[in-house]
Amino acid sequence: MNWQAVFLSLKLAICVAGILLAVGMPIAYWITYSRWRLKFLVEAIVALPIVLPPTVLGYYILVGLGPRHFAGKLWQLLFGHTLPFTFGGLLIASVIYSLPFAVQPFSAGFESVDRRLIEASWTLGASRLSTFFRVILPLSVAGAVTGVVLSFAHTIGEFGVVLMVGGNIPGVTRTVSIDIYDQVQAANYDAANRTAVILLLFSFFVLALIYGTNRRAFSLWRGLK
Amino acid sequence: MSLEVAIEKNVGGFRLAVEFTADAAPLGLLGPSGSGKTMTLRAIAGLETPDRGRIALNGKVLFDSDRKINLSARERRIGLLFQNYALFPHLTAAENIAFGLRHLSDAERKRRVADQIAAAHLTGLAERYPATLSGGEQQRVALARALAIEPAALLLDEPFSALDTHLRSALERQLRETLATYRGSTLFVSHNLEEAYRVCEKIVVLANGKVAAQGPKEEVFRHPPTMEVARVTGCKNYSRARRLPDGFIEAMDWGCKLSVAQEFVKIPGHVAIRAHHIRVRSPLNSAQENSRKNIFPCWLAAMTETPFRVTLDLRIGAAPANSSDFHVQVEVFKQEWESFRDLPQPWAMELAADRLFLLPD
Repeated sequence: MNWQAVFLSLKLAICVAGILLAVGMPIAYWITYSRWRLKFLVEAIVALPIVLPPTVLGYYILVGLGPRHFAGKLWQLLFGHTLPFTFGGLLIASVIYSLPFAVQPFSAGFESVDRRLIEASWTLGASRLSTFFRVILPLSVAGAVTGVVLSFAHTIGEFGVVLMVGGNIPGVTRTVSIDIYDQVQAANYDAANRTAVILLLFSFFVLALIYGTNRRAFSLWRGLK
Repeated sequence: MSLEVAIEKNVGGFRLAVEFTADAAPLGLLGPSGSGKTMTLRAIAGLETPDRGRIALNGKVLFDSDRKINLSARERRIGLLFQNYALFPHLTAAENIAFGLRHLSDAERKRRVADQIAAAHLTGLAERYPATLSGGEQQRVALARALAIEPAALLLDEPFSALDTHLRSALERQLRETLATYRGSTLFVSHNLEEAYRVCEKIVVLANGKVAAQGPKEEVFRHPPTMEVARVTGCKNYSRARRLPDGFIEAMDWGCKLSVAQEFVKIPGHVAIRAHHIRVRSPLNSAQENSRKNIFPCWLAAMTETPFRVTLDLRIGAAPANSSDFHVQVEVFKQEWESFRDLPQPWAMELAADRLFLLPD
């Protein structure tokens, strides 16, 4: 049982979910409420990772973060090493890969908040930021939770991007999905099976817990609308 | 205490161009759906931006297109009561009312909320969520929430339209009480003329995005300046009209000659009269007829009943060919109806000269 791979996957998934909560919310807010004519272009860019084959995405990230391009050079300058084949590189790749899985549920959640409630908040003197935290967010918790859970689950299941960017380095970039693949390649079906089952059970447990506690939140506010 | 509004806005094919002033007495904004009432309200509150114009509240300029001033909604200190109340579903009634009071100390906030709850007769409901409150209670919470911030102006967007009829009169009375103590300017938007008439002192009638009439309510209702205003204020009977050389008016659609009370400056295009201003009685003998004016024989084409009133569709001058062949609608109370319903037709209809509206083209 490769616990190292399991912990690495969990660490990656938790970090990605956390980063996407912080980064995805402002993007989703802008997408929901902006009235820019060219907004659809931004929406298309955000949605790209859904349709791109993971290997294509992984390739571009590998090259883009690599030492031959600007971002990679900058990172090397700051931190003394390149991004590919490091946990940091994997993190950035995973965040991009799961971005739409966070942004779209967040945005759908915001969309479902009655605009008149937002307007009422303004007429009562609340700023846009205050309105976001006191009105929009509490009423779109379901969307927020869905986005976080999906980013988490999507990251646990990542394979193609991890393979391209990570390089399969034990303890650093050998996540569970890579580990299972390795075991199957080496015909260690028992080991692969044990790891896979643990992962499956864990993911299911997390999802059931979140949807279970969210059920009350879903029904309480839906009933109030 | 005054709210000055003079704005223009084009949206799609619709042109809004309104100008009026509200003082401390409640001002009614009356008009059919699509006449621009809600757009005007939203522009005053800062939720829409007019293309051109000026809005000033107690001398403070909220919007001025020439001077490029456009205060955001939160800077305007205007209380807005939405048509569907827009109560925050995740907050209790008390929390809703306290929403705009963040900047106050805890003690002051609690005091204001308690005062509002008592004034709105919501005692005991403070900890309830909006979904568990009745329509009338929700409306009172929404009003209390708008008043709690002590706004300089209060805008009410059809506050009773979402309520059951039997609730409306009680809530209307309460609103009038509340408005009596409120010191800011109040704008009351409605398409229900009776409500607007009861709650407000002055009325502005909007039609097709423009002000069609404004002034004290009695004045607007008694002397509507145009057909549009007459219609919006509930007048149902119209006839094309022309002036006759002998000073009478011919009502062309009704086939009769009318004498009128007022001097008409403009050539009237139409003559109109309200349904409840037409008197119907037993046929008079010719001696009585000669001494009074504007009395015509009429026949009943159709009759509809409401719980306390009766609406009669009457034809002037000849018996009707069918139930849709009528000239005017008359409303009478049931007791009055009883007094002539069994009498032989034709009955005598009086279109009192001082009740006739002369409306220009």
